[in-house]
Amino acid sequence: MTGVVVMVADAPVPEKPAGVRRRARIRAITLESRTPDRAAAWYRQALGLTDADPLLTAGGVELRFTLGTADAANTVEPARIILNFHVADIRTAEARLVALEAVWIRELERTRWGIIGTVLDLDGNFVQVVEPAPDSPPCLQRKEEHP
Amino acid sequence: MTTPALDSILLGTTNPHRLRDWYAAALAPGDSGEAFTEVTPTMFAGTFGDTSVLIDGRSDVADKNPDPGRVILNFHVDDARATADHLNALGVTWLVELEEREGGLFGTLVDPDGNYVQIIELKE
Repeated sequence: MTGVVVMVADAPVPEKPAGVRRRARIRAITLESRTPDRAAAWYRQALGLTDADPLLTAGGVELRFTLGTADAANTVEPARIILNFHVADIRTAEARLVALEAVWIRELERTRWGIIGTVLDLDGNFVQVVEPAPDSPPCLQRKEEHP
Repeated sequence: MTTPALDSILLGTTNPHRLRDWYAAALAPGDSGEAFTEVTPTMFAGTFGDTSVLIDGRSDVADKNPDPGRVILNFHVDDARATADHLNALGVTWLVELEEREGGLFGTLVDPDGNYVQIIELKE
């Protein structure tokens, strides 16, 4: 075949519907509890939040509590989902948890990611406080300065 | 003074690659497979709004969550019906299909490890 240029187009990339192009955002976590009011009060104290705001938010995420229906009193697999609260001052965070008489699973420890401590909440979930190391990956840094 | 922020949520799993691929396809479909970065060969991080999901391969959890209602991740989306169509095309498992409730559209699906994930589109 002479003088004919065969044009081969790239396979078209399937277009995602406009409604799903933007990434989903985590805006809330729902925690099941035997005592939702007590659990909420525990988190409020653990995080140093005031009672002024009826919503309990940590950064851009709301913590919601519902009455649990599970047979087991405590979370069966606490390592399954762990909430990491990043803090600017780990010692202040530790002092709040000590004042709450929280049960420590791992006392403050310096790791490659920063200083991390792990406690149990009232329902046996693992809750971590993290002061990220300056050179930890961006995804593990504090996202922004929340007021 | 800054208050603590829920900057990341760790999902412990025996199959981190599968879980990463599912969250990327289901909830970050526009990101061309770049929703997650590799932190270690068995840990992946993807940011969804103000929070990162850390998918961590570990041996102290079972293949399936034995107690999935304990903690539910609530993802807000721009268009819940389009998201549901997309999720159906992926063949996801719904615990509660998308439905209209006071305040908006809500649906709950189950990730490959059995964790519950809620999709929400709030009314304006």
